[in-house]
Amino acid sequence: MRSELRRIPFLLVFLLATGMMAQERFTLSGTVTEANSNETLIGVSILVPELRTGAVSNEYGFYSLTLPEGTYEVVVSYLGFREIRRTLTFDASRRIDFQLEEEAEELEEVVLTEDVERLDIRKPQMSVAALSVETIKKIPVVLGEADVIKSIILLPGVTNAGEASSGFNVRGGAVDQNLILLDEAIIFNSSHLFGFFSVFNPDAIKDIKLYKGGIPARYGGRVSSVLDIFQKEGNSKEFHINGGIGAVASRLLAEGPIVKDKASFLVGGRASYAHLFLPLIDLDNRAYFYDLNTKLNYQVNEKNNLFLSGYFGRDLFSINDLFVNTYGNAVFNFRWNHIFSDKLFSNLSLIYSDYYYGLELDFVGFEWDSGIQNFNVKYDLKHYLSDKLQINYGLNNIYYVFNPGKIIPNSPESGIVEEQLTKKYANENALYVDVSHEITENLSLGYGLRVSQFNRLGQDEFYVYENDNPVDFDPFSLVYQEATPIDTINPGRGETLKKFLNFEPRISASYALNDRNSIKASYTRMAQYLHLLSNTSSPTPLDVWTPSGPYVEPQLLDQYALGFFRNSASGEYSFETEVFYKDVDNRIDYIDGANLIANNAIEQVILNGEARAYGWELLLRKNTGPLTGWIAYTLSRSEQRTPGRDLEIDNGRSGIETGINFGEWYSTPYDKTHDLTVFANYELNRRWSFNANFIYQTGQPTNYPIGQFQFEGLVVPYYGLRNQERLPDFHRLDLAATLRPKPKPNRKLRSEWVFSIYNVYNRMNAASINFRQNQDTGRNEAVRTSIFGIVPSVTYNFRF
Amino acid sequence: MKKWWFLIGIWAIGLTACEDVIEVDVPAEEPRLVVEGLLRVDTTQVFVPVEVKLSQTAGFFDEILPVTDAEQVIIILQTLDEDGLPTGTGTKSLTQLEPGSGIYVPDPSFDADQRLRVSTVVENDILFTLVVQWQERRYAAQTKYVTSVPIDELRLGDGTLFDEDETELIVRFTDDPDLDNFYVFDFGFGNYLVTEDTFYKGQEFEFSYFYDEDFDPGTELQVGILGADRTFYNYMDLLLDQTQGQQGPFQTPVATARGNVFDVTNLDNDQILDNAGQPNTYGLGYFAIVQEFTAEITVE
Repeated sequence: MRSELRRIPFLLVFLLATGMMAQERFTLSGTVTEANSNETLIGVSILVPELRTGAVSNEYGFYSLTLPEGTYEVVVSYLGFREIRRTLTFDASRRIDFQLEEEAEELEEVVLTEDVERLDIRKPQMSVAALSVETIKKIPVVLGEADVIKSIILLPGVTNAGEASSGFNVRGGAVDQNLILLDEAIIFNSSHLFGFFSVFNPDAIKDIKLYKGGIPARYGGRVSSVLDIFQKEGNSKEFHINGGIGAVASRLLAEGPIVKDKASFLVGGRASYAHLFLPLIDLDNRAYFYDLNTKLNYQVNEKNNLFLSGYFGRDLFSINDLFVNTYGNAVFNFRWNHIFSDKLFSNLSLIYSDYYYGLELDFVGFEWDSGIQNFNVKYDLKHYLSDKLQINYGLNNIYYVFNPGKIIPNSPESGIVEEQLTKKYANENALYVDVSHEITENLSLGYGLRVSQFNRLGQDEFYVYENDNPVDFDPFSLVYQEATPIDTINPGRGETLKKFLNFEPRISASYALNDRNSIKASYTRMAQYLHLLSNTSSPTPLDVWTPSGPYVEPQLLDQYALGFFRNSASGEYSFETEVFYKDVDNRIDYIDGANLIANNAIEQVILNGEARAYGWELLLRKNTGPLTGWIAYTLSRSEQRTPGRDLEIDNGRSGIETGINFGEWYSTPYDKTHDLTVFANYELNRRWSFNANFIYQTGQPTNYPIGQFQFEGLVVPYYGLRNQERLPDFHRLDLAATLRPKPKPNRKLRSEWVFSIYNVYNRMNAASINFRQNQDTGRNEAVRTSIFGIVPSVTYNFRF
Repeated sequence: MKKWWFLIGIWAIGLTACEDVIEVDVPAEEPRLVVEGLLRVDTTQVFVPVEVKLSQTAGFFDEILPVTDAEQVIIILQTLDEDGLPTGTGTKSLTQLEPGSGIYVPDPSFDADQRLRVSTVVENDILFTLVVQWQERRYAAQTKYVTSVPIDELRLGDGTLFDEDETELIVRFTDDPDLDNFYVFDFGFGNYLVTEDTFYKGQEFEFSYFYDEDFDPGTELQVGILGADRTFYNYMDLLLDQTQGQQGPFQTPVATARGNVFDVTNLDNDQILDNAGQPNTYGLGYFAIVQEFTAEITVE
């Protein structure tokens, strides 16, 4: 690994040199914005057809294109926007900011699919799923709320644990292995109402990208995927309000200039109705969520741009005031874009993020607070050396404070003793270099290296175990048990308990067979230092994150992917297929009956195992015409195992541990053999459009009892190896229709009605099957729980 | 403590979920021995009510049959000295109470009294080993006596948690400050709750338990508080996890609820000291000798 590292700077020098040997070159750079709002546009193509080259605007709308001296036609295009064609003479470097105009009024227009979703044959980047906010808003969802996470699940390789489950699973990875970034800040819990909705307000979002593999070196810290979400900056030309009124929640978003063309603001709020589920349970219950998105943008001058953004979201549940539960994210983010030169763009981000989980259990007499805080500094540079070579590099430091929980008596009469579980501290830092390099007209490479380092810092109380082994194995019962600490030490926060260093190379290549077909391949290695302590199929908000340290190793991923990509001649259709294989070392597993909550010695119930997943993904898209949409199919397998450790036990024998599940591979709860989704959008005319999606998934792995016994009046089902059975297959059809009434003359108001029906044929998809004794009849029965039957809903959206 | 957290999952799902009974084909395996050997010691009595119930596992929708043909059921008592070394050994022989019942009690046909005195259990440090010989296999389970604490007060409340058909019972007890305690509450009608004293060590502690039933006035409720060691606590916890059903997306991975009953047929205390060579021959159930305090209250 070390020699590999030494070779890289050499390679860079070589590449830089080749770039410089060419004839005299000039640079065209600038930003691309939307004419109506000055909102920067991400992913706009700036093409020079004559030279068959071009550039793409970055996350902040900046582009840079360096070409040999000459006069060329430059085409700036972005689907849904009027194309700009301009003949430019490259005899000096210059800055041109392009402003694109929409082809038609928003909300009335027939936006088909934005460029972001189109396939780029020649770029080495693969395994990326991009969805425009327009598409997301059209996908029918339960209770009519447009939802980012529910939408990406329609893409190949992405699933979730079922209805009303939080998060999503990418290529057989766990929910906690997704890096979710909102304006570059890490979001630890992406769900509202235990997974019914995601925390992202679609009105405030500009761009979404999901990296499933071939993940660029600028991202790190999670081993399965990156969901990178950028919020809008706000309109710096005109004041606008838009919003929506739905069956569950309503939204309102205001944006406008503070100083025209220079500074803008955006404030968006969303809230569900307080007594959301009241009719369902006739008690004094409350369940609601709200979130607030804010953003300020100040363009200091051509070279400097400042952003302040904030997100605050909370969920609240309460039952008779006996049980109150509050949780949510808070994110505060300052960013500074600085353009050093026409070839060098930089961004500095200072981010604070906080995830809070609180609970009040009045009938037991305590309150509970837990959470995770982090302070994140990022500095990223994008260096556009030539039209063939771009280098991104940067560094990142994250300081974490983990609060596993604090228990507080809620009244003087309570018998509970106040206790703070030992807080944990860690520091994660990384350096990266990421190169995209067009070697020949047909061969492009992306390669990079991320060097990450993780310091688990000292804490107030730290347990020490015999042989450094916090989990005992009982050779008679063949059961793992918590070991008893032999000592407790008090290392200060300045000390390092354990340090990890990982080199994470990333390589991807694209070979264009011709203008329409290409083959791509990638290899990704990633390290993840945080683990979500979750022993359930889908995480609960209460799940606590824990850092790697002396007893818990970081997760390490190796992923290989190979794909074939094809665009039809007209660009109307695109087809992509990929195969992938990945394995993750040190995937944690829990001993049977592990208690993960309020456990101050979590290492006593954790074993390091491994996980692997492989699969084949197919995606056929229709990009243009009145009918657009896609068919996605994934065939995959996702497994994990935790073999016995080769430790000596008391009697001197070693290697007798059985491991979890007898050390055998078993299906993860998110192993879905077949996953088929069909999404179609049909624009009938300017007023009506129709959408449909159909989902079919192999049932989730589950367990059926292999027998039963009685103990002290309890009828106990007992189980054999894990996840041997499956729930019935999951399938569902949803439909939606959008009506855009004709705008009244001289009125700015634009509106639309979205009528949707979720689960049209009312399939009772099983969320779980429980085996239990019927209390009344005394007979054993299997009970299927299903979450949603048919759910019709109406949403009204407006903008003025 | 743990069970209270579990409420959250149920509640979230309970909001919109609907349940129906379905037909499922379940797998089956050969019957295993199940030992129900929870001996509850009332220290105001002279004898421990020794009653060990032996049965066989059955398919989930099949009938559970008792073990009526155990070849031997004995409890070995090894008195330990301060260093934990055995100083004396005794044996209690058990026999089936009524043929076909599967319930084994101290054998009255012996010359010597096979009953277990409370004083023997309480006053000595004894390692109890239950040995069962059945169908040419030998099973053993070991335990030590665990103390409990009395219930200070039971009273009825009028609160409800999930629906109106509930009965709130408020329980108050005082934790033993000298030990890391685990308790198993037996609320009757197959309702149990496990708790550990991490957050209320040595305190007078009060909590509400909600029966999933609105009892008629005059119903007698009896509550028992049983002492438990960590292993028994974990076992009961696991049993409750498995019996209360899975919680949809919040379901935990299943685990075979293994108790402390091991198949020791091929162990010889010399060469083979562990079960690594026969990981699949285990018995189920638990053998424990614990102190129990009870309290009663009548629903008004």
